[in-house]
Amino acid sequence: MLPLTSRTPEEVIFHRGDVPVTVRRFLAEVASLAARLPEDGPVLNFCADRYLALLSFAAALSRGHVTLLSADRTPQRLADIARLHGARYALSDTEVALPLPVLAPEAEAGAAAPNPAIPAAMVAAIAFTSGSTGEPRPHAKPWGALVAGARAAAERFAVTPGTSIVGTVPAQHMYGFETTLLLPLQGAGAGHAGAVFYPSDVAEALAAVPAPRLLVTTPLQLRALLGTGIALPAVSAIISATAPLADSLAAEAEAAFGAPVLEIYGATEAGSIASRRTLEGEAWSPYPGVAFAIGENRAEVTVPGLPAPVPLSDVLEAAGGDRFRLVGRQGDMVKLAGKRASLAGLGKILSDVEGVREAMFLAPEDLDHNPRARLAAFVVAPGMSATSVVAALRGRVEPAFLPRPVVMLDELPRDEVGKVQHKDLAGLAWRRS
Amino acid sequence: MTTTLSLEAEVAKLIVEALHLETAPEEIDPEAPLFGEGLGLDSIDALEIALAVSKRYGFQLRSDDERNHRIFASLRALAAHIEKNRTG
Repeated sequence: MLPLTSRTPEEVIFHRGDVPVTVRRFLAEVASLAARLPEDGPVLNFCADRYLALLSFAAALSRGHVTLLSADRTPQRLADIARLHGARYALSDTEVALPLPVLAPEAEAGAAAPNPAIPAAMVAAIAFTSGSTGEPRPHAKPWGALVAGARAAAERFAVTPGTSIVGTVPAQHMYGFETTLLLPLQGAGAGHAGAVFYPSDVAEALAAVPAPRLLVTTPLQLRALLGTGIALPAVSAIISATAPLADSLAAEAEAAFGAPVLEIYGATEAGSIASRRTLEGEAWSPYPGVAFAIGENRAEVTVPGLPAPVPLSDVLEAAGGDRFRLVGRQGDMVKLAGKRASLAGLGKILSDVEGVREAMFLAPEDLDHNPRARLAAFVVAPGMSATSVVAALRGRVEPAFLPRPVVMLDELPRDEVGKVQHKDLAGLAWRRS
Repeated sequence: MTTTLSLEAEVAKLIVEALHLETAPEEIDPEAPLFGEGLGLDSIDALEIALAVSKRYGFQLRSDDERNHRIFASLRALAAHIEKNRTG
């Protein structure tokens, strides 16, 4: 059994606006929400407010209900997850019409409540990846694995109890869930509750919480922060994940914000498993307790609390000691906006569109280092326009994978043996940049 | 109002250029949603637009309480928001 929180009663676990929420108050609010929940889970949690997301997760957990995490708040996606995984109700602070009861979590402190003990092997949450077919694939997270991950992160980043954690990543994305909810719950630090997305939001959120401050973000948002030239209150560190950060961006951020830029390596299947300081080199150090087995073209990772080693979709290379380098991705997998897909899989979906004779997707060479990079599609579809191709794909693939540009062709360029010439295609798509 | 109309055209051009869209600026329906079903933009684009707007018009976009940004409801709404807040 592991307690719901490892923090002591008087510690601050979250900041809601200018109200600091102590662990004592949090536990009382958890108990009063838990008492209002329906008899059975699972529960779909898509709260936008980070504190309400944590409160909802904790209340459900204390009742033995599994939380389904969806960072995607489109009704279609939520309904799919609810249907495929038998959600009995949802907890959300935003209204979405769904074929199940949607309850608004409220932070009401009742009587003082104990710190519930949760079985380590209980599946506490299920996170989802989408793959190229769009069908959500579940990844179960036992409570023990989540606790171990949060404690490892607190140790790795030397987070002190009084550190304020401001995140720009959705609370239901695995990285956001671990780093902005579980870190305060089971590691250290106090979360920031409000919505943070634009550079100006980041500056305001940081200004609203006490120092030291930790910013949890992505390469895309770091680039926007630097691009707008906005001034930030002092931060003690910046953590980035979802895609490798280019050295140049990390260097610029360290100079502009006067703090180390650290990166987390992870996957929805395994959680956060390694970290590095970008400017110290490309090698990653595994989290405490995490072990990598690196093969020729295949790597897997053993994570404390997960029942079996997890295969990774990246190709890794040993870098001395227990450290490793990221070499590339397995096969034709690509990653955009924190989501993975296979180029062939996307090409197949596009080829199946009515009116399309032949199609393929390509990724630009800088996909992994250019936060704003997009995939290109090459389409043979007499009578269709690029706009109608994109319209047909919408709803069938994740928005991040919608191609830009779409190059309409009379035929795909092939060599004498009929092999499609990727180089020629790349020239057509990206000649302008 | 002619200023609003020309600003709308200017913002349409800014969006198409910043995002490398397939659509021509004049093809953007000023009343259609920019995200989801309309022009089909996503959160990556929202940041890109925020960046372009801060450079061109000298002010920062910010989140409303909801992620459902009212100012991105349409090209017209965005242009009106820029008109009201621009410093450059």
